[in-house]
Order: sequence, then structure tokens, then C-alpha cells
Amino acid sequence: MKFDLTIALADRPGQLIKALKPIAKYGGNIISIIHERENPSDGFVPVSLVVDFPSKWNLQKTISDLRNMGITIIRAEEIVDTSRIIAILVGKANLKDIIQRGIKNAKIIGFEVSDPVSEDACLKLEIEVPTRLLDETLENLRRMAESEGSLIILPI
Amino acid sequence: MNVIIAGFGFIGRKLVRTFHKKIDLIKNVDSKFKIIGVSDSKGYLYDLNGLDLKKLSSVKRLSEYSEEYKEGRSTEEMIEKGEANLMIEVTPTNVNDGEPGLSFMKAALKKGIHVVTSNKGPLVVAFRELTSLAKRNDCFLLYEGTVAGAIPIFSLIKRCLQGDTIRRIMGILNGTTNYILSRMYFEGTSFELALKEARERGLTERDPSYDVDGIDAACKAVILANALMNRNVKFKDVKRTGIRRVTQEAISLAKKSKFAIKLVSMIDKRIEVSPKLVPINHPLCVHSTLNAIHIETDLAREITLIGRGAGEETVSAVLNDVLTVIKETASSV
Repeated sequence: MKFDLTIALADRPGQLIKALKPIAKYGGNIISIIHERENPSDGFVPVSLVVDFPSKWNLQKTISDLRNMGITIIRAEEIVDTSRIIAILVGKANLKDIIQRGIKNAKIIGFEVSDPVSEDACLKLEIEVPTRLLDETLENLRRMAESEGSLIILPI
Repeated sequence: MNVIIAGFGFIGRKLVRTFHKKIDLIKNVDSKFKIIGVSDSKGYLYDLNGLDLKKLSSVKRLSEYSEEYKEGRSTEEMIEKGEANLMIEVTPTNVNDGEPGLSFMKAALKKGIHVVTSNKGPLVVAFRELTSLAKRNDCFLLYEGTVAGAIPIFSLIKRCLQGDTIRRIMGILNGTTNYILSRMYFEGTSFELALKEARERGLTERDPSYDVDGIDAACKAVILANALMNRNVKFKDVKRTGIRRVTQEAISLAKKSKFAIKLVSMIDKRIEVSPKLVPINHPLCVHSTLNAIHIETDLAREITLIGRGAGEETVSAVLNDVLTVIKETASSV
């Protein structure tokens, strides 16, 4: 699991190496590190890290150790890899149903409806979904369209 | 090599004309090449000294060739004579039971006669049975013309990607539906009008459902899966949705997001034929009657082939298969 971990370090030599120790202790693999030494604020320097931890627990233990060391945590968030997909539905399409059943865990970025009152009403959906849930979301959409007797057209 | 041709329809006639036109090239490979028999549904012509290709090229029906035209069980009788080394099977496609081509192929292979075909039916119905029969009898069974006409997909993969594992195949394998969807995309016509145009241009089968309901594309997906991905699937295993419900509105909405809607045959874990959104800059996004096949392998990664999928171009694939059999059998002697 990848996390965006931003901490504030005192602008003194040796602070960064000290802060990296708990990350290593809890199995964190540092993917990137941005040390903004040219932007100190009140004697503190923000350091942004992207760290791959085996689980959220490892992150929490790291944060706890960092705090005990007097280091301020500015941000600690999971980086979710998302995919955007477009789907076109022809036929009966109930947007509420789609959101509740078809694309839970997904965000609707945009939609467009064409000829809404006809039997062949057309709905284009643009959705954002965590990449790990992509296959599941596509399958849900397929199943939902099938049960409604609609045609669903998905990307290759 | 003594060759018999089963079927004297559109492809059979075009093939005879091509043999006549390319005879010098063929004779360079095999000086003893001759067509000793040709059959249609009612009878056949047979001459062990070789039929006159010039004369045969000029007739529409076999009965017009000479009084030698014999009515009867035609293809079976030609096979039973046991004088042919290679049968080219180009009878009409029947995807329900593969007949009559399936029986002809089985009879030929049992007699040790190599088979080259552009007929999908028998391969869709009995792929494993036919390939096993060919192997047992030490015969070639080549079928390049069955999928995507002139595109050399089987030859490419079997000869040039021998060490690769095919992970996925996506293809636009039906020229008629691609023509219809392209007209809808570019001209804004309705499905009904585009289908009518396709019929007027002679692009559809007598029963258009063969094309528009994805039957033809599904048959090709079955052959690709069995031949290239070592699967053992039948027509019923293909999840199939045709293009009848694709509306002009759906195409316009797709177009606004830089997609075209295409009937795509997809072979990976599942085998599916359905309308899909294809990004307009994707190599698979070909228009009009063109076919395209996009393969994904473990080593070569992605390869796309584009070409003409049906009609007279199929003759290119059949001729190449014939030359392959001639060369391979000559080198193995």
C-alpha cells in the first residue's frame, strides 16, 4: 500500500536520517522523497515521502514513533491508484440504481443522456474507480445492464 | 502435387483464376502441380493429367467445361479415388453442423490427403477432432483463410512467434458490421439505413443476422482461441452481443469522448463478441470493411495486423497455404 507521508523536520543537520529510521523499522519502502530545504518555515522544513508499507498498521506504528520523536506529521494518506472509464448504456438506465449497485466505490465524473424518453435512451457515464476494483466494477455494470435488458458498451 | 478443389462458388472460381494467373510461380515451386479435380454440389470434373486452368477459369459452372462433367457424390468420389495429395475445401460455410465440408475434410484426412480450407464451419464445429485426425494421418490442415481473410494471423504466430505465449487477442473480424458502424460514425446514418446500404453493396450474407448478431465474428473467435491459445471451446462458449441495438446516439456520445463503437471479438479468460468502445487513436480502430487483429504476448508485447477480411482477398491466404504444403512436403521427402 502506497502512502503520501509529509512531515515537518527541524532545519538542523541529521534530522532526515533520524526520521527515516522508524520507516525502515516498520518495513516501509521509500519510493520518492522531496526535501524542500529552500522553503523553511519557522525553522522547519517540509519533507514529502511516498512510502510503500505492507499495511496501514505499519504506517500507524511509524507515525506513532515519529510523533514520539517530536516530529510533526503534516499529512499521511493512502495513495489510491484510480482508473477512469467510460461506459455507454442503451435502453433502460436508472442512474440511482447504477450508483447504488453498479458502481459503488466509484465516483461519477460526468454523464450525458441522449433521447431520455425513448426505449433506446442512451446514457454515457464517465467514472473514476480505484484500479484494484476496476474488474469488479465492470462486472457489476455488465450484470446490472443484463438484468435491465440494456446494452452496455465498455472500452476494450 | 495433385490437387482437388471442393467447391466452385465465389472463392472456388476466384481460386482457379488465381492458379491460372500464377501458374509460373507455382510451377517454380512444384513442376508437377496440377488441378486434377473440381467439384460443386451436384457433380465434378476429374482428369488425372490435370484440368485445363485457362478453360476452367472461363466457366461459371463446372458443367460448362466439358461433357466430362459427372453428376454424383462428387467430392467423396474424388477423394475415394485416392490420387489427390491435397484437397482445397471451399464449400459454403455452415456453422451449425459444419457440413458438407466437415465430412469432406474427415474423408480426405483419413485418406492421408492434406487439407487447405477457408471454410469456418468445420473448424468451429470440430476443431480438435480435425486437428487430431490430421496429426494421426501425418497431414497438413491449414486454414489461414478462415479468419480475417488475407491477414496472415496463423502463419505469423505459428512461424514468427513460436516462443511467445499469447495473452489476449482482440479483433475486428467482421467487415460487414465494421462497414455499418463506420457509416454510422462518419455519415451519421441510422443502423437500418447503413444495413440497407451494406446489403445493396453485397456485403451481407443472405441472412444478415450472421453478421449483425455477431455469429460470424464468434465463429472466428472460436477458431482463434482453439488454434492460437490452446483452448478447447465451442461456439456456445462465446458470450455474444451483436450491433442491432447500437444507436446513432450511442455512436455520437462515444465520438464526443474520442471513441468509436466497434464489434470486437475478445479472447482472454473469457471469449466475448460485443460492441466495444475503441479509442480512435488505437491501432484496432480501423474503418469501412477492414479487419484488424491486435495480439498481446508475453515477449513481443503488442502486435496489430490490419487488412482485408473477406471476399476475393481470401484467395491470397488459400494460395499461401497451398504453397506451404507443397514446400513443406517437398522438404520432408
